[in-house]
Amino acid sequence: MPDMNSLAHPQQHQFNPYTENGGTILAIAGEDFTVIAGDTRQSEGYSIQTRYAPKVFRLTDKAVLAVNGFAADGNMFVKKVRQRLEWYRHAHAKDMPLRAIARLIQTMLYARRFFPFYVYNILGGIEEDGSGAVYSFDPVGSYEREACRAAGAAQSLVQPFLDNQIYFKNQTPAQDTSHPVHLPLHSVLALVIDSFTGATERHIEVGDGLEMYVVLARGNPALQSLQDLPGAEEVTGTQAEERVFVIRRDLKKD
Amino acid sequence: MFLTRSEYDRGVNTFSPEGRLFQVEYAIEAIKLGSTAIGIRTPEGVVLAVEKRVQSPLLEASSIEKIMEIDGHLGCAMSGLTADARTMIDHARVTAQNHRFTFDEAIKVESATQAVCDLALRFGESVHDEEAMMSRPFGVALLIAGIDEIGPQLYHTDPSGTFTRYDAKAIGSGSEAAQSELQDKWHKQITLKEAQVLTLRVLKQVMEEKLDQHNVQLAQVTPTGFEILDETKLQEVIEAM
Amino acid sequence: MSIMELNGGSVIAMVGKDCVAIASDLRLGNQALGLSSNFQRIFPVTDRIYVGLPGLGTDVHTLWEKFRFRVNMYTIKEEREIEPETFAHLVSSTLYEHRFGPYFIEPVIAGLAKTPSGGVKPFIAATDLIGCLNFAKDFVVAGTASSKLFGMAEGLWEPDLEPEDLFETISQALMNAVDRDAYSGWGCVVHVITKDKIVTRTLKGRMD
Repeated sequence: MPDMNSLAHPQQHQFNPYTENGGTILAIAGEDFTVIAGDTRQSEGYSIQTRYAPKVFRLTDKAVLAVNGFAADGNMFVKKVRQRLEWYRHAHAKDMPLRAIARLIQTMLYARRFFPFYVYNILGGIEEDGSGAVYSFDPVGSYEREACRAAGAAQSLVQPFLDNQIYFKNQTPAQDTSHPVHLPLHSVLALVIDSFTGATERHIEVGDGLEMYVVLARGNPALQSLQDLPGAEEVTGTQAEERVFVIRRDLKKD
Repeated sequence: MFLTRSEYDRGVNTFSPEGRLFQVEYAIEAIKLGSTAIGIRTPEGVVLAVEKRVQSPLLEASSIEKIMEIDGHLGCAMSGLTADARTMIDHARVTAQNHRFTFDEAIKVESATQAVCDLALRFGESVHDEEAMMSRPFGVALLIAGIDEIGPQLYHTDPSGTFTRYDAKAIGSGSEAAQSELQDKWHKQITLKEAQVLTLRVLKQVMEEKLDQHNVQLAQVTPTGFEILDETKLQEVIEAM
Repeated sequence: MSIMELNGGSVIAMVGKDCVAIASDLRLGNQALGLSSNFQRIFPVTDRIYVGLPGLGTDVHTLWEKFRFRVNMYTIKEEREIEPETFAHLVSSTLYEHRFGPYFIEPVIAGLAKTPSGGVKPFIAATDLIGCLNFAKDFVVAGTASSKLFGMAEGLWEPDLEPEDLFETISQALMNAVDRDAYSGWGCVVHVITKDKIVTRTLKGRMD
């Protein structure tokens, strides 16, 4: 029986083109490597849509992009960035450098200032000078180069942890010592795993799987240990001196 | 040269039965009437030099501008209908700035050259509702000098939209003599100083007037950027000849 | 405007090996405007129990006076000190009395319970603003920086920390959490409760 009362009043309907699909992404830059990670759960409200929807994408052999927010916008945005990277390769006969990709992403996001891609982007990779780099963006293209950044559903859980463990915030070094400027790869991977297990424990939208992309600069001594790491898969393109790996881990599914 | 004139001389975008575009070929001929311009690539940078034809003692020599900046790392010398070069250089400047805006990096020398050449063949009769096109080919050749991640480079463009990379190149009325002189004198390890002197020496040989600091212009692109040499610096090079 | 975020402030409590710790920031504000950098919201209930009351500033005082009154009445009637778990239930029932017009406070309780063998057992608990109890075995958090505190504690906490290590852990968890929260900060206070003594330290934090 339809509610006749409701028909007596004017009804207003509005189409909302955006959804929030949960999940969290994170990137940390080392001296000569960068780790870019994201969980693989995709949800809408309290329902899990899929337990495996990648949010981290290899763009070139020195650039990896993580996208978080509205998944449809995220996937389309990655497609458009990749298209622009190919155009650039054809026009200029080289792969786009990381800082150029960062600037390109800003212009692409700002071009949609009044109907934005509802996406938080984190770009990680290797700079022209061989250093690890992380660029983080807001949905309309404001960006900054940093050593580490978390974004997404569990940003508030992960970012203060990174402040403490990467930047050594609120920690005073012992007499005549100083904090390291960059952490080694194994420490960074351990922190990434800790961050995501913590976020999985306390946030319902985080979990299922973890994908960690590692971009190594030319001649990185950690190459051998990464090749020996069980479950680490090399995804480097053809010609590169930089090497890209992806490490997959299970996260709790509840 | 083109003694057999025909109706194919007229249409700017019509091939002759032999497969030639006469108007474009004539445009290339027009450059051979222009003042001489020379470019030399060295491992340290690129040198550009032009002769300024000071037609009258009442003419202000400094108002003749035949070398122009495209971007901080790109410079350009011209010969032919220099007015046409403005359109091309404007386009190159916009392209270079756009590249910095979008990619936060300097445009490559070849890409900037390509952008200029993309303009070259946009002439012909515009169709209704289409963007208005240019009525004739450009009557100017350019020497584009620049430095990027590949190193110092020198490009030559002509009205057909063809571009070629050179170690040393001369264009304009004295180009034939100048080019063979450059071929003799250029070597792989030539220094920037030597190149500066060489450009002026070659210019001096092909110029009708006596060379001085008023009737030549010298510029260079080095890792510090593009620079047109001022009168004192030019004087130093002239004295070193 | 959320009443829970009107004055700001956060509290965290953690369990260690034969010890517990409770800590809070010292800010009192009116939305974005900071008013005080010495606002105490953790109170001693007995020699072995502390309660932290993050939430609406006025209710911090009102509720603490109410707890003090009820604990005193309990001590007189029962002729013994209240146990942490009993106090937690007192807190819970006091809040539930106002189920439909609640105090805007989410209390955090930390204490050492007496065991039959004469030893002590660490106890922590937290409730929501209408008294739903949460007896956690590791740590509890509340206040405007709660999500940040969860992330920090989840990353730093481990079982059986000695008092000095527990102090470092809870301090780092709190300081780094409130540095990412605009409504909390302006200095911290940390209490570490052991069998023999309570160590209270005031920490200098960033003042922005």
